Amino acid sequence: MLRSPADWTERSHDLSRLLARAGLGDRAAFATLYERTSSHLLAVVLRINRDRAQAEDILQEVYVNVWRAASSFDAAQSQPLTWLTSIARNRAIDSLRRLQTQPQMRAGAASSAGRDSEDDDVYDTVADESPGPLDLLSRAAEARSLAACMDQLSPNQRQSVALAFFQGLSHAEVAARMRQPLGTVKSWVRRSLATLKSCLDAALHGDSARGR
Amino acid sequence: MDYSRKDLADALAAEYVTGTMRGGARRRFESLLPSHPALREAMLAWNERLMPLTAALAPVEPSGDVWRRISDRLDRRKSVAAGAWERLSFWRGLTGFASIAAIGLAALLANPRAVAPPVVVVLAATGAAASGVAGAPIVASISGDGTTLVTRPITPVALRPDRSLELWAVPTQGAPRSLGVLPGGSGVVALKGKVLAGADTLAVTIEPAGGSPTGAPTGPIVYVGKFSL
Repeated sequence: MLRSPADWTERSHDLSRLLARAGLGDRAAFATLYERTSSHLLAVVLRINRDRAQAEDILQEVYVNVWRAASSFDAAQSQPLTWLTSIARNRAIDSLRRLQTQPQMRAGAASSAGRDSEDDDVYDTVADESPGPLDLLSRAAEARSLAACMDQLSPNQRQSVALAFFQGLSHAEVAARMRQPLGTVKSWVRRSLATLKSCLDAALHGDSARGR
Repeated sequence: MDYSRKDLADALAAEYVTGTMRGGARRRFESLLPSHPALREAMLAWNERLMPLTAALAPVEPSGDVWRRISDRLDRRKSVAAGAWERLSFWRGLTGFASIAAIGLAALLANPRAVAPPVVVVLAATGAAASGVAGAPIVASISGDGTTLVTRPITPVALRPDRSLELWAVPTQGAPRSLGVLPGGSGVVALKGKVLAGADTLAVTIEPAGGSPTGAPTGPIVYVGKFSL
């Protein structure tokens, strides 16, 4: 089970080999890749698009794309789990766009977009079983450097980033959820990302300097 | 906008990866990636920073049906590509192309002013002392609607790996505007806003790998061509 970013690199090692073989047309390797990664990618997609049937359709699209693009995967440029997760996130975010252009479909799905304040209560009751974005952020921060970097953010900054990243909310949607002006939220997100960037990059360079 | 500027590329990539960049902006960012290495690099770096955050999510097992559907789709692709079918699909593809061309022609005839012809610009080699740059020109084609520019070298351009070719729109007044780098002389550039406004010249310079670090040309001009829209 994948619990902290520390496992990320470890798992990525095996996945690189599987992806390389899938890129050469090895279906068995691709099946193993699916077995090892699909439950993570479905969790990522479901955070952004809560409709289970749609999420599984998205997952299907993601893996068909991965099969096609496997030969172009460059292990020197990114870790396989990072690459797979980013493909899944992009598909899920694109699916929200399509959802918003179909207003008649929004009755059930509107709560996931958290569009205006009236939706908040519905949203919260729907979401009550799974951990909130803030819990996720602190869980993700178990790895040492990430935890130290998260501590540098104010609570509001942390929440704004968590909502945007995990739930796939736009700036306007985050502002509505937090009942804060759009400009304020925008600058929270921007400053959080700048802080995380310099902190994580510094930690990374420190680690490699120590010969990790 | 000059996407080779590191701070700008970084800010855009951060919004893209976080997911707050939406709609048209998101699609535009994706269309710019192939020809703008600075954007691509910034995006990859943000992916590595943020994607591990998702490690905290509890896995959700997909239903068995999902893998069956994926598997079926891959099987279908395979059988179409196999053996004699390959030839059939080739002809199918060709007739498909012919009917698309016919539809295109019909649209053109029905509405002759809707589709403006592309503008072709020949960028001649200047002969500036630079290794790997051939004497043959690079041809640039600006789509009739002015949204896309495609370049192709007549003969391949082989540069040192630590150098890139960068394309610039040069206005009659003011500073050159970067249109992106051209790997091997080939590139597809989405022309944003009025990036060509007032420009009458396209120029290609040799820059450090990934494009000019300053946002202004730093290397010798190796190809140049005049145009008017």
